[in-house]
Amino acid sequence: MCGAHAAVRHLIGGILEDRQHVTIIDMEAGVEHLSRGTGRHVDTLLVTLEPYYKALETSRRCAELGRELNIPHVLGIGNKVRDAADAEAVQGFAAAHGIPLIGSIPFDDAVRRADLAGTPLVDAPANAAVFEIDRLAGFLLAN
Amino acid sequence: MRIAIAGKGGTGKTTIAGTLARLMARRGREVWAIDADSNPNLAVTLGVPRDTHADLTPVPRSILQTDPADADGKRKILSVPASDVVQRFGHSAPDNVKLLLMGRVDHAGAG
Repeated sequence: MCGAHAAVRHLIGGILEDRQHVTIIDMEAGVEHLSRGTGRHVDTLLVTLEPYYKALETSRRCAELGRELNIPHVLGIGNKVRDAADAEAVQGFAAAHGIPLIGSIPFDDAVRRADLAGTPLVDAPANAAVFEIDRLAGFLLAN
Repeated sequence: MRIAIAGKGGTGKTTIAGTLARLMARRGREVWAIDADSNPNLAVTLGVPRDTHADLTPVPRSILQTDPADADGKRKILSVPASDVVQRFGHSAPDNVKLLLMGRVDHAGAG
């Protein structure tokens, strides 16, 4: 066990002891952090499902690990969904691997523009991506 | 509620995490956002003022202490309550979101 990782895990674990607040963790890419147990203290694991093979495979492994760690809710969110074929690919993959899909964020040029400018997407003019993430926020808080 | 967002790099984890944090805060919740990525950029998506980015420091490891309840002495716990950690080391983002940075991790020999 790498000491730095262990310290981060202990820090996150300690902060997550507080259950009065909503805590959202932007995890390191991939699955390694989960297998080290960083995800042990969360109650909800959201895995991104972007419609291309390697991304979906990584998400499938994240979801499997999340379930092995007994995270109560392991949920999928489609992202960068451009058309009906993308939506079908994400839905089909989620269904095939038992990942409840709670939403799909459409591909939106506002995301690219915000990334380019280094500005928050949420502060961009009304756009479909933020609309869907807001719906997801309401869903997660209600459930 | 404690939510982690995972997936392959480049699939929008940070965008979703930051946007979700802001929108949940607008719905009246107190939100803490933790950047656990070794290449942290959640501050940008949250809208932490850019002129403060150079001053964004991670939560220091020094607030960990050995858990007295652990016979092996390996388990570490916070030496102060989590809310104190956020108050002292959290960075302010719009909609009253607090950002905590876990710091870059040295990957040499990791795992």
